Amino acid sequence: MKSQLNRFLSLLCALPLAAAAAPALVDVQVFPPDVNLTSRQDKQSIVVQATYADGVTRDVTGEAKLTLGNAKLAKLDKAIVRPLADGATELKVSFGGKTITLPVKVEKSAVEEPVSFAKDVIPAITKSGCNTGSCHGTARGKDGFRISLFGYDPDGDYQRFTREQLTRRINLAVPEESLMIEKGAGLVQHSGGKTFGAGDELYEAVLRWIKEGAPADVPNRAKVVDVQIYPRQSVLEGKDAKQQFTVRASYSDGTDRDVTTLAVFMSNNDGSAKPDKAGLVTAGVRGEAFVMARFDAFTVGSQVLVVPKGQQFVWPTVKENNYVDTLVHAKLKKIRITPSEVCDDATFLRRVYLDIIGRMPTTDEVKRFVSDAGTGKREAVVDELLKRPEFTEMWVMKWAELLQIRSSDQALTFGYKSALQYYDWLEKQISQNVPVDQMVRSLLTASGGSFENPAANFYKVERDTLKTSENVAQVFMGMRIQCAQCHNHPFDRWTMNDYYSFAAFFAQVGRKSGEDPRETVVFNSKSGGVSHPVAKKDMPPKFLGAEQPDLKDRDRREVLAEWFASPRNPWFAKNLANIVWAHFFGKGIIDPVDDVRVSNPASNPELLDKLAAQFTDYKYDFRKLVRDICTSRTYQLSVVANPSNQDDTANFAKAYVRRIRAEVLLDAINQVTETDEKFRGLPRGSRAVEIADGRTTTFFLTTFGRATRETPCSCEVKMEPNLSQALHLLNGDTVNQKIQAGGVVRKLLKEGKTNDQVMEEIYLRALGRPPTKDEAAKLTAFFTEGKSADQVLNDIFWSLLNAKEFVFNH
Amino acid sequence: MSMNQNTSNHLWTPNRREFLYVGLVGTVGVTMSDFFRTQARAEAAGASLKVRAQSVINIYLPGGMSHQESFDPKYNAPIEYRGPLDPIKTELDGVMFSENLKETAKIADKITVIRSMTHGEAAHERGTHNMFTGYRPSPALQYPSMGSVVSHELGSRENMPPYVVVPSLPTPYAGTGYLGSAFGPFALGSDPASGGFSVRDLTLPGGVDVKRFEERRAMRSAVDAHFSALEKSDALSGMDSYYERAYAMISSDKARAAFEINKEPQKLREEYGMNTAGQRMLLARRLVESGVRFVSLSYGGWDHHDNIKRANERTMPEFDKAFAALIRDLDSRGMLDSTLVIVNTEFGRTPKINGTAGRDHWPKVFSIVMAGGGMKRGHAHGTSDAIGAEPEDNPVTVENYAATIFNQIGIDPHKPLMSPGNRPQAIVKDGEVLKDLLA
Repeated sequence: MKSQLNRFLSLLCALPLAAAAAPALVDVQVFPPDVNLTSRQDKQSIVVQATYADGVTRDVTGEAKLTLGNAKLAKLDKAIVRPLADGATELKVSFGGKTITLPVKVEKSAVEEPVSFAKDVIPAITKSGCNTGSCHGTARGKDGFRISLFGYDPDGDYQRFTREQLTRRINLAVPEESLMIEKGAGLVQHSGGKTFGAGDELYEAVLRWIKEGAPADVPNRAKVVDVQIYPRQSVLEGKDAKQQFTVRASYSDGTDRDVTTLAVFMSNNDGSAKPDKAGLVTAGVRGEAFVMARFDAFTVGSQVLVVPKGQQFVWPTVKENNYVDTLVHAKLKKIRITPSEVCDDATFLRRVYLDIIGRMPTTDEVKRFVSDAGTGKREAVVDELLKRPEFTEMWVMKWAELLQIRSSDQALTFGYKSALQYYDWLEKQISQNVPVDQMVRSLLTASGGSFENPAANFYKVERDTLKTSENVAQVFMGMRIQCAQCHNHPFDRWTMNDYYSFAAFFAQVGRKSGEDPRETVVFNSKSGGVSHPVAKKDMPPKFLGAEQPDLKDRDRREVLAEWFASPRNPWFAKNLANIVWAHFFGKGIIDPVDDVRVSNPASNPELLDKLAAQFTDYKYDFRKLVRDICTSRTYQLSVVANPSNQDDTANFAKAYVRRIRAEVLLDAINQVTETDEKFRGLPRGSRAVEIADGRTTTFFLTTFGRATRETPCSCEVKMEPNLSQALHLLNGDTVNQKIQAGGVVRKLLKEGKTNDQVMEEIYLRALGRPPTKDEAAKLTAFFTEGKSADQVLNDIFWSLLNAKEFVFNH
Repeated sequence: MSMNQNTSNHLWTPNRREFLYVGLVGTVGVTMSDFFRTQARAEAAGASLKVRAQSVINIYLPGGMSHQESFDPKYNAPIEYRGPLDPIKTELDGVMFSENLKETAKIADKITVIRSMTHGEAAHERGTHNMFTGYRPSPALQYPSMGSVVSHELGSRENMPPYVVVPSLPTPYAGTGYLGSAFGPFALGSDPASGGFSVRDLTLPGGVDVKRFEERRAMRSAVDAHFSALEKSDALSGMDSYYERAYAMISSDKARAAFEINKEPQKLREEYGMNTAGQRMLLARRLVESGVRFVSLSYGGWDHHDNIKRANERTMPEFDKAFAALIRDLDSRGMLDSTLVIVNTEFGRTPKINGTAGRDHWPKVFSIVMAGGGMKRGHAHGTSDAIGAEPEDNPVTVENYAATIFNQIGIDPHKPLMSPGNRPQAIVKDGEVLKDLLA
């Protein structure tokens, strides 16, 4: 390890000159891609971003030359384009010898846009912070005034502002003395202080609305359909580097609007990239941030990387086995991190066995693999393991957790028989390599008796309509939409409309008892719906984040399934690819895997997109995806860090150590000690991974955090160490008794092996490697006179099973 | 109000493995010096802290104990509010308890009753989260339980784990939250009231004496050294710290004896009651006596939607006897002033008796007890209104409740801890110590 480190350091020192020359300009981008002005007040701010050869970006808006083709149609106010007369022209942006041309369209330049409560006032009070959860947006309001959280209910808010408190909040006679103006401007006692001031845009927007008689909005006003933030990604070099953002909303009437001054800016890491109210981001310490803009019900984000100024960094020549490495390396280059070296053969073999089949390699397998001098042996072992039945068992277990296969003590609710049937069905799907999209469609559309068609248990495990839809979103799309049950999700895109119209797909699931009362028959009841609690109306089914389908009187679930498990659903393949990824790295590209949201972005979005695209291309055969992952160089990295990646926890620049999950750990102990276990409903000698029912457990499994399967949350599997685990491995019956009962040491000694040979054998069993010289020397010292070799070797065996190197996959 | 303040609860996904390492490349938010500066400020502010409690016994009554049928009977309210039980006089002038708290009534002069606890969460898990962490639940950040914060801040004492749950984790919110995995509670795994109660795996396995164990330890450290040199991570250091703690417990007779409830005189065991309430509380006393800093124990099921009279008669008397015995026992040992005993529950119950003669969930006002550890002896704090529907005076928020507990055990409630993304989180957000409660 030390030599690797030295090699790395000398590499760094040997090449300082290469980095000294100023990196060349490689690209200039202008945002947004076009300018569309559609009223007299309309405007569009422009941002120019330059990208250099070392990946660093700079905001060069102030340095670039901006010229309008026809100065009669529009004018430039610094980097803001404003309308003059109707017509089409272009905007030329030149920087560093590169020129980009943007189309500019001006319409209705003489028309004053009418004032709108939803379009002007709500954004103003949102930007001012009036309707947040800690102010008037909280469920009970503040100081006697409550409005909807982040303005999710503009019609209700209109009533509250204009009708409550005998209309004292607005004063049509003297608009400036309206309570909402005086409070907001801090002219009267206000716990929230001053949130806007005379002359600023927010103040003027509210005042103008009152001056014009505080009109209600016309019915069917244009609604926001999309929001974009630019630039999409920035790599800022050095503290205090700056980048201006521009945010544009698109409306249902086809118009767009520059909402940079109205959007609320946030960062998930202010220390690295802190936005001000105007959307100007200032770099702080080295790190990674996600800058978000919230406008209307949309939150959109942009990745900002901050690298230290003048850091000497040279990307070493690193092999790329496949697209995984290409995309991981692309990110690492940007953040100036060198990946670790590839791990040695023994480490790789243990890791890949534990990950793919949940077993330790046998000593023969280790010896054969390590001594094999051929090339391509790592790929070959991955292929071989993917064919083993234990691979199926591992993923049946993982799916059984997601589908919550756990019997209830009430047999009629979801009894042991149902749990077994459901598990067997799942086992069949995975062992026959049924494509995942097909399996998910079978679950979503399952009808008939749960004995005949065990997939129907999907609707037996969870009977509540809203919960069912939440589980579907969480398990198959990785999204927690629960927040949107009560209010628009503040840091995600989900609105209450989205929530209830998605739930509506499950509103007509009928359930009745079968002939055997333990069986449930699932059918299309063809009636029933989901009511929106604010709008008090029955919601038509609408795909989450996509269109409202034409149902044509079909089973709502069938319509859903066609979209859901298909490339039309942008999250389906991504989420499954991420779940698979997380299994092999102990961490998702989005992490946790079931908390996908705007404010919890992917650490490497390009990688996740590519994995999803591959998964789709593979026709949802996840074995192929596993192969890509396990044969990548990235998966094969060593846990040994270098100075640049020692703190990396999200970019896969080295291998992360992971405690082995409960079932696999118990199976591993049984395997290496040659003992077995008896679990309920399974023949003696079955593995813990094969347990069908989430209720079946043992002290060991519970102590090491086996999923109870009571919820579909990825947090069910607990990997944290605790005191009971340490005590159990040290003193408990698992390790101590199994070493005795298995009699491995005795057997090996009987075969005539020397102490050293036995030691090597148990090392290979437990750690997949022989002892180092140092270890052998230290341990040999324990063989003193008067002590039985058997006991010393058993104690060494005990030490091995108590070692972190055994308990962790690394 | 600032935008940042508001967003801080939602933005980050907890990943406790990450948080320990201040100075991450991937997610650096504040620098080391920033962090220590904040910390230093907090420490300066807390310098005047007076440590009153050496340990905390947190008695949790899951399900939501009715305030009317316990510490806040509404005997003057109309019958549909008053409920089926009668009030009884206590040692505290003018303070009445419900009739099944006969023993507790006799020690009322040693405890502080809070009758104006209030929050807004009417679902069991959310209410429980409030009472165990001092925070409202957030979808984006898992808050640590008070016990884990105590473990993090004060560490182990006399070879005992700093935080123990009796008999097992009462709720997922009793865990480490965003704190590193080394600060989780030690769960007994079995019930001290059961016949052959013993805590598993505390004693060396048969055939292994102390000498052999020491050898095994030496071997293990030889085997472990190689890997320890390779990589650092929260999980690895968490595992190391648990092994250290395990070694300490295993090699200390005194530490192991703390878990042996049958070392208590039979007479005392019976005074507490030979049932789950009694033996759990007795064991809790043994544990804090031996050095545990924070014990959380749970007793009974208090979700009395139906026939509250019968349900209360079945659950309350054993609690009553045990709790009174605990207070007397602590007092007679001179431990009451250094042991903060809390009786809490996730919420109270509806003012009106429902259609099935029970009461439903009611978080707007309910009753808890804080005794010893620097609390006033014989005090009733706050009142609810005539029908037990709203706090009438001195409402006690979750934040103030938590701040008071931390303050008593010598932890500055405003001190920032590090959460994922290196974002400092106050131990308690905006909570103030309830000075009126303090002796």
